[in-house]
Amino acid sequence: MLTRELAIARFENGLVLPDRLTRIKDQAYVEYAQQLCEVYRNGIGWTRKSLHQAVQRVLEQDPECPVRRIGAFCKLLDEWSQFDRGNPRKTAELRRAVFRRAASFHPLVEVAESILEHAEKATKGTIASELGTEWLQLKEDLFADLIENHRLKTFDEHGSPLELLARYNVAQTQVALLDSVRMVIDATAEWKTILRYAKLAGLMHRILKTETGYRFDLQGPASVLRRTHRYGVAMARFLPGLLSCRGWTMTAFMKRKAARFARPEFDLRLELSDRSGLVSPVQPPEDFDSNVESQFASDWGDESRGGWRLVREGTVLHVGQRAFFPDFLLERSDGESIPLEILGFWTPEYLRSKVETLRLFPQHPILLAIPKSTRVDLEGIAWSPNHRWIEYTNKLEIGPVLALLEEMTKR
Amino acid sequence: MANGDVDRMAKSSDRGLANLDYDSGTLLLDAWTETAIQRIFGQGIWVWDSRVGRWRTDACNYRLVRDVLATRNYGTIDRVPQWQTVNWSKIEIPPLRPEQQKAVDAWQQTRRGIVVMPTGTGKTEVAIQLMASGRCSTLVIAPVRDLMYQWHRRILRALGYDAGILGDNRFSVKPITVTTYASACIHLAELGNRFQLLVFDECHHLAGPLRSDAARCSIASDRLGLTATWNPDVVNTKTAGAVRWDDILGQVVYELEIHDVRGRTLAEYEVVRIPVALSDLERNRYDQLSEHVSDYVLQRRTDDPGFRWQDLCAETQSSQVASRILRAFREKQAIEERAEEKLRVLEDLFRLHPGERMIIFTGSNAMAREVSLRFLIPCLLSHCGKRERLDYLEGLRDGVYPAIVANQVLDEGVDLPELKIAVILGGKGSTRQAKQRLGRILRRQGEAKAILYEVVTSNTREVERSRKRRKNDAYEGTRHRKVRKRPGAS
Repeated sequence: MLTRELAIARFENGLVLPDRLTRIKDQAYVEYAQQLCEVYRNGIGWTRKSLHQAVQRVLEQDPECPVRRIGAFCKLLDEWSQFDRGNPRKTAELRRAVFRRAASFHPLVEVAESILEHAEKATKGTIASELGTEWLQLKEDLFADLIENHRLKTFDEHGSPLELLARYNVAQTQVALLDSVRMVIDATAEWKTILRYAKLAGLMHRILKTETGYRFDLQGPASVLRRTHRYGVAMARFLPGLLSCRGWTMTAFMKRKAARFARPEFDLRLELSDRSGLVSPVQPPEDFDSNVESQFASDWGDESRGGWRLVREGTVLHVGQRAFFPDFLLERSDGESIPLEILGFWTPEYLRSKVETLRLFPQHPILLAIPKSTRVDLEGIAWSPNHRWIEYTNKLEIGPVLALLEEMTKR
Repeated sequence: MANGDVDRMAKSSDRGLANLDYDSGTLLLDAWTETAIQRIFGQGIWVWDSRVGRWRTDACNYRLVRDVLATRNYGTIDRVPQWQTVNWSKIEIPPLRPEQQKAVDAWQQTRRGIVVMPTGTGKTEVAIQLMASGRCSTLVIAPVRDLMYQWHRRILRALGYDAGILGDNRFSVKPITVTTYASACIHLAELGNRFQLLVFDECHHLAGPLRSDAARCSIASDRLGLTATWNPDVVNTKTAGAVRWDDILGQVVYELEIHDVRGRTLAEYEVVRIPVALSDLERNRYDQLSEHVSDYVLQRRTDDPGFRWQDLCAETQSSQVASRILRAFREKQAIEERAEEKLRVLEDLFRLHPGERMIIFTGSNAMAREVSLRFLIPCLLSHCGKRERLDYLEGLRDGVYPAIVANQVLDEGVDLPELKIAVILGGKGSTRQAKQRLGRILRRQGEAKAILYEVVTSNTREVERSRKRRKNDAYEGTRHRKVRKRPGAS
């Protein structure tokens, strides 16, 4: 992630607009990105400092290129690279040896004015030769463990020039989110993945049903106490996951210090959607968790069977910070709907935790499909009367599911 | 049921047991009715969190909450604290001086608050004395890694306890743990229920919204702040007035002024200012850059009379011209900071004090390395490992090394007990930094006087910064001196 010192953003009507390089507006940058990758590709063995100077030279072809953008590209290219850190212990020992030797000659003066004084040049030469080298080499080696003197070992070639630009755009949006106090996402799909990423980042949610799907209001534990950007890091960390999903719009709310305004803080928003053109560095999630699920979905098809239609991940059941995303929602034209959860494979522990989750929603009818096994007595589980299960071998058939649906909705 | 928030449950009786839990930097309490909460706690402590269906408050309110529940005789199931009583294998603390004892007594009255004592008057001993008698789980928070390790050593020496270290890529948490502000910011929400006492070394570092926010994440009822300079106005401006010091630390409980101890606990010291000139080459470039910068600022001020330097920094985000001006400004700074002449003056100072150990402060890492390479003296930078730093610091103390050069890593509190001469080659203009730096050499050693040399480039902004530094009362009686020009130097 970039640091705040490398952030570039414009502010317009209360909107934060992170720096964004587009192929149309910033055509030259496609060429620059090419050159930047070449610098690193051909720069194996160079020090970080000289690589960064080369990056600066490339980007200064654009006289408008801000310093921060140069810094940001250096950071991103470094992230694709591995550097040889030298041998810090050996370098530290070398320094120790040199400084201890030099101590008896202190101070090294430009011109010795008496027999008691030691001239800089001669003394340095002596010390170097005592250590079996020359001063110019010694001078190079003395601080070789410094980060700026690390030498490039490998450059990861998955970094195509266009991908570099894509990463830059994501990185600038990410760093802008560090000031966020709250994030609201309206999603029409992939709720499970979105919430999973949010949880992974350490965020808490509120869930609201909307006309087209669900609204996730993401904040941290202390956010109910005051507006805090304590969780901005978590929100920035969450962004790549969100970007890998489809069907959402997001608004992040942030507070900013603005020295020149009478009010020390004022409100800003950052708006984004899956169509903003930001490419996630994270792979999009798998469409189906298991073969049984995809098989069942394709068997069912889009049509209505016995009055029921099959909707993938059509609902979210939630209580407190626990949420349950059934694989499918079966909807009948009269408005009746029942979630269906298919277990692909299971261990007794997994089944137990599933049942535990279902118990959070005792009032809600749920249909569970479980692969046949002789090892566990399913009858022995204390199911809620609203929860029904069905066993299957190899493949979940439509007929028995329909039968059970009818039974569950009979009044 | 799938309708968002958990319904607020009204307990039939609010005299049930109070279930108290810790949740990453906050406390959670059962779903009592709003009336019950208000009657018992009053307003403004607990906030209803519908996301979990419980009342929530900042962890730093823990003591208050427990006190209220106790006075009202509420049965409490308290799963919050994860701390313990600590047994020391030994206690070896030198007898406290009267002012140290006063500080100890003052803090113990409330077990909260700030002790203000100039550097070199034994703040650490005050804290260790309080830790020794408190015997509770303690987190010591220091500004930088050096100081974190120094606390570790001091605790080991005085109390025989090998404290945990959190920071510098180490994550070992024990009942007594030392850390840095940066690491505390990251981890305090997770560890906030592990410590009963927090010691904030150089506690002015708590200013800043993220850090003061982190301090709220701890349930520690005992909080000790140590600092050499406490100016609440300055600190509050930095945090935009958002910090309620009572919540996170407390008020000043003891303050020892620097002139109270000057010449008694501390050595007498004098400040000698040495102006140096830029070389012709440096001067030309410097003037050229200055012109760019002032033209720009002048022009912007015509457009906008309220234009300030901070605005320029903000503009660099979008404006290339502003970027270029900022670059010019930085180059200017680099020229004044790294003027060749400074190295010559330093050579003269080394000659002036033969056999005397010295410490040199620079304004940048680059300059520190330049000095190190020129004179082959150890250069203490943040990248140095723990062993290397120790070797340098102890080597300087024991006379193995004649001098060391450092950038900011030595700014605060690093122990160098017997040093009498320091040189500043450029640096920031803040009085706080000056006081901290002075503290380095203000250690009494017999009747010997300490000297602080300040080498500034004349006719540059450095002179202004130096003037600003001297506003600090510690600098009273600064003498100005031109070091003799060496024959041969132009």
